[in-house]
Amino acid sequence: MVISVKDALKLFGVSIICCCAVLVCTMFINYYIDLSGVRALVASDEALILYEAQLLTSKVTVLVTGGCLLATSVVTLLYYVRHFIDMHKKELGILKAFGYSNTEIALRFWVFGLSVLVGAAVGFALAFAIMPTFYDLQNETKLLPDMSVRFHAEILAYLVVLPTVVFSAISVVYARYKLGKPVIELIKDSLQGDKKRRVFTFSRSGDESIVKDNVENDGIKNECNASAHKPKDMPFLRKLSLSVLSSQKTLVFFIWFASFCFSAMTQMSISMKDLSSVMMGAMMMVIGLTLAFTTLILAITTVINGNSKTIATMRAMGYSQSECANAIFGGYRPFAYVGFAIGTAYQYGLLKIMVSFVFKDFADMPSYSFDWKVMLISLAVFVVAYEGIMLCCALRIRKIPIKQIMIE
Amino acid sequence: MIEIKNVVKTYGGGESEVEVLKGIDLTVQDGEFIVILGASGSGKSTLLNVMSGLERPNGGSVEYDGVDITTLTEKELTLFRRQTVGFIFQQYYLLPNLSVEQNVRMGADLAGNKDYKQIIEAVGLSDKLHKKPSALSGGEQQRVAVARALAKKPKVLFLDEPTGALDESTGRSVLDYICKLQKELGFTMIMVTHNSNIANMANRVVCMNSGRIAEVYENQTVKGAYEIGW
Repeated sequence: MVISVKDALKLFGVSIICCCAVLVCTMFINYYIDLSGVRALVASDEALILYEAQLLTSKVTVLVTGGCLLATSVVTLLYYVRHFIDMHKKELGILKAFGYSNTEIALRFWVFGLSVLVGAAVGFALAFAIMPTFYDLQNETKLLPDMSVRFHAEILAYLVVLPTVVFSAISVVYARYKLGKPVIELIKDSLQGDKKRRVFTFSRSGDESIVKDNVENDGIKNECNASAHKPKDMPFLRKLSLSVLSSQKTLVFFIWFASFCFSAMTQMSISMKDLSSVMMGAMMMVIGLTLAFTTLILAITTVINGNSKTIATMRAMGYSQSECANAIFGGYRPFAYVGFAIGTAYQYGLLKIMVSFVFKDFADMPSYSFDWKVMLISLAVFVVAYEGIMLCCALRIRKIPIKQIMIE
Repeated sequence: MIEIKNVVKTYGGGESEVEVLKGIDLTVQDGEFIVILGASGSGKSTLLNVMSGLERPNGGSVEYDGVDITTLTEKELTLFRRQTVGFIFQQYYLLPNLSVEQNVRMGADLAGNKDYKQIIEAVGLSDKLHKKPSALSGGEQQRVAVARALAKKPKVLFLDEPTGALDESTGRSVLDYICKLQKELGFTMIMVTHNSNIANMANRVVCMNSGRIAEVYENQTVKGAYEIGW
């Protein structure tokens, strides 16, 4: 069969995101449950405020981080399934032509859930390795009763087993949906076969230009007449750049998300040094950088692989390496910087809420204001890292053999 | 003028080394139409790749008006391809998400050619300017590839089995377009094919066999696309 366990294990991007999500969620849920269990031992008012604040922090962290990473994992997994189907259209089409049903083929996609199992299991194990230190740091002031880390089987079930099952099911259902197109559409050349074909035809009525936008989707032709403008007459490289962006919208999200993670997590980990422990900051920094670089590199690699024929054709025509790189990657730059800006605002908002509302009654709570210095340093590092990766990608373009397009 | 001297090209290394081109010598005059004819594995496509600067040979030289392109740096080679050569591939390699106009502009913008619409008209696609390649037939797609290649005003046009993916009637029509434009514009044309009938359309035919030029002959009477057998 076309899909193997090896294919599933290639989804290390999903594994890494799941690992981070399960690591954070396990630590805070476990802490929440253990802390709830010692409520009766919390005596003083100050300890009670800290107790309530820590429970709330755990809830917020699990909801915000877990929710955000869960959504990203789903998007990444669906993207991988779609990408896999696009890359193996012909083989899947041949299987269908031989008589395999959509459901029979789709059921094989359960293996994609294994990437979630691997990531979640590693995250769960890491959480238990870190938790003793984490518990100590959460109670540095010794206001709360001493607690030991307890194993809760339900956390294992909810954060490792359940996601594996759910993500496997999502893969199967989504694959079943994506496979529901005519065999011939799967078998025909992927370069010429678009999922959606937009066909513009023009007719002149007086001075008005009317555009008929016929969208063909899975053989169903939906015609909508709309007064619209004639497509802009723009240079090829600009048009190509826009085309690359619009054809891979999920990658725009990934690049935005990578920049968001970098910005939010690096700034937050430094800005919260007075509000939390060094370990929490370091952990946040490591998670942020891992997520940012994994997502960015996966997205960029997909962009290069998806456009290798375009790049090879352009180079054969005489376009330079930098022209190819700008046309293919240049369009993503604004989204990356917008992601950085939103990440900055997000981390400021989150910390402000924590200080102003969650820990407002806690004595000795340091004041918090926007840290311009940290933001500027983070921005400088981001610019160097992002542009450095783009430069490496431009160099990788040079390695795409032009001859590749002539021998296929 | 293109002068190829003692070109050698090998693939692999050690015991698995295969010599695909075994000392090729060939001279192509400006404005000439040459067909490189040969069976599969004869080395004709490799020769085209080496002549056009897509691949570097292991030995020998490929000179364009006295400049050996095998010694050029990657940057210089890019500039050479930009200014000198055009390609038409068997599989078209059009960009699927861009319209006919934008695909042709891919070539036109390189040469600063503002009159690219005339070329689209010349290949008979002016009414399909804003259509995507997927909405065109095979012949129409190949004509877009022809327009794209010609829009960059190449001095030398390389064609690798340009009718290989087309039916007989469409193939004739495309070849007719190309030959007509070559006569009008006067560029040099080098075409690789395994179809010996197409060879009758060229000024000169280079027959290849096992990495060597087996025979070179000139056609006394050059035929049109509709005169040849297929």
